[in-house]
Amino acid sequence: MEFADREIALDLPRFGACTYRESEVLMFPWGLPGFATLRRFVALSLDGQEKFIWLQSLDDLSIALPTADPWQIFDDYAPQLPPYASSSLDLVRPEDFVTLCVVVVSPGAEEMTMNLLAPVVINLVTRTGRQVTLETGGYSVRTPIPRKAPSSAGAQGS
Amino acid sequence: MLVLSRKLNQAIMIGDDVRIVVVAVDRDTVKLGIEAPRTIPVHRSEVYDEIQRTNRAAAGETEQPPGEGAKVADLGGKGRKPTTKG
Repeated sequence: MEFADREIALDLPRFGACTYRESEVLMFPWGLPGFATLRRFVALSLDGQEKFIWLQSLDDLSIALPTADPWQIFDDYAPQLPPYASSSLDLVRPEDFVTLCVVVVSPGAEEMTMNLLAPVVINLVTRTGRQVTLETGGYSVRTPIPRKAPSSAGAQGS
Repeated sequence: MLVLSRKLNQAIMIGDDVRIVVVAVDRDTVKLGIEAPRTIPVHRSEVYDEIQRTNRAAAGETEQPPGEGAKVADLGGKGRKPTTKG
């Protein structure tokens, strides 16, 4: 691509130094529930934690939400997006969008849950995302992640 | 907050294209019918409140080890997809 795509340096409260390009910014025109005023995010990954994608707000650098590909953990997850999601995000070709689910790790990492009810859907072509509430499937906002999930690599023993 | 009284089968218009009808009233339960364009999400507010709480918890509670080497993730377009309807 020929357009000037500046690299921007950040010093994040949570992750330290990081750079991103303007073309990598994700817009959430409807905000995220709980963070309705935050519009611009970047998706970050950290060394050694590749299973997690952090949605880092660019409007409030103290806000970052951990997410992950739901199918890494819940193989039979079968979300059906309501019509407003497809139309507002211009979802046409399946290869043009990704689905991530918000993960909550309890203090001390005792327990992890995933929000399967409201996946974050991102159109990679328009770089626009929205957290979509499913109307079918009976999924829970806090679905416990089994201890043996691939995201908890390493010794789980005992 | 605007407060309107409605009887059974009476409706309220919100803007030009959202119509809410009182379909049934039974003791302390009111059934509402909602006609809205497919581009407008309609949910019980408890569901939305719960998603808000979960997002705040995810951003606040999550104690990951301090991140190292944060870089922009390659989201790719691969992987499984939800089905879409409509």
